[in-house]
Amino acid sequence: MCENDAEAIRAKEAATGASASLNGGIPPFERIVADFGPLISRIAMSYEADPALREDLVQQIFLAVWQALPSYRAEASLKTFIARIAQNRAISFLARQVRQPPTAEMPELVESDRPDPEQVAIHTNERRVLLEATRRLPLPQREVIILVLEGFDYAEIGEMLEIAPNALALRLSRAKAALKKMLEGSS
Amino acid sequence: MTDLDLERLGDVWRQRPDPAELEELRRTADAVRRRARWAQVIDVVAAVTVAGVVLLLVLSNPRIDTIIVGAGAVLILLVSQVRQRRVRRIELKSLTGTTEEMLDQSIGRIRTTIRHNRFTLLAMCPGLIIGYLVASAAGRSVGTVVGSLSNAPLFRAAWVGLAVTLVAAAALAFVFRIRRLQRELDRLTAMRGFYRDERESNDP
Repeated sequence: MCENDAEAIRAKEAATGASASLNGGIPPFERIVADFGPLISRIAMSYEADPALREDLVQQIFLAVWQALPSYRAEASLKTFIARIAQNRAISFLARQVRQPPTAEMPELVESDRPDPEQVAIHTNERRVLLEATRRLPLPQREVIILVLEGFDYAEIGEMLEIAPNALALRLSRAKAALKKMLEGSS
Repeated sequence: MTDLDLERLGDVWRQRPDPAELEELRRTADAVRRRARWAQVIDVVAAVTVAGVVLLLVLSNPRIDTIIVGAGAVLILLVSQVRQRRVRRIELKSLTGTTEEMLDQSIGRIRTTIRHNRFTLLAMCPGLIIGYLVASAAGRSVGTVVGSLSNAPLFRAAWVGLAVTLVAAAALAFVFRIRRLQRELDRLTAMRGFYRDERESNDP
């Protein structure tokens, strides 16, 4: 199997949270970090703008995941389980901050291994704008938008947040409208 | 309905991370896991050491008062370990539930902590007075060097000064802690309010 295929399978597993069920148990922590590290990092980014505090938040999420893993019962996908922990830890982290979260920050990491620097710059800028807009959303809407952007389907989101499909649709509609307004305002 | 293309935005959002960023994440996770494992090891080693020392003391001096003190020490150790595990379990359970449940539990926990801290703060003054009276009575009744020293005005003033300073510093620390917790509680309550408003606005 070529490396690209393996990567594609791994990405697919990470997206569906299938790695746990494939092994019939909890995958090792290293595997979880490789599969879900970027998801944890993105969730941390969407709640904390300050890079030093974000690093602290990422550490706290990893610790919470490590401690909570033995209680994982495969009732939901591993991805759902980790996203839930990451969101909850990020929100409780925000509550502990005395100051209000800043709205401006250093640009996110510029990806260096892309072949087309112009395209990279456009994508990176778009991602930064999207992150900043997401951070300004009210918490309930931000939570829904992050989960949608992370690729969760509506049934999974409804289950994670324990809200009815109609309520989810309404919340998502409001979140989309608010996000669109912010994205238009920043362009 | 808005025409925001969430699928395309999702692709932008989930764009493949930089290998350096991935490596940094791996290092962070490794460090976190190592620290957590060490903390667990230190916890176990400390508990075993304390239990071992107590057992040695009891065996080297097998009297009823030594046994009572030893059993008390082990009991305190056990209770603190069980309590620590319970707190950790509750916290982890709240992290794996919904955000609203987590906020409710956090609000409840902080309210309880604030109540305990306020009670401790209020109990400090009577505690200081009782401590002073007990120490004075003990000093007088002992009739030793300590007893005669405690009757010396300079020693008495120094002792009272030190005790008052320590209690004042502790009280100040409690006041700051309560204020910080109150700010956290306000933020959590405001966050909980956002979710309540969101739910209420969905009702027909």
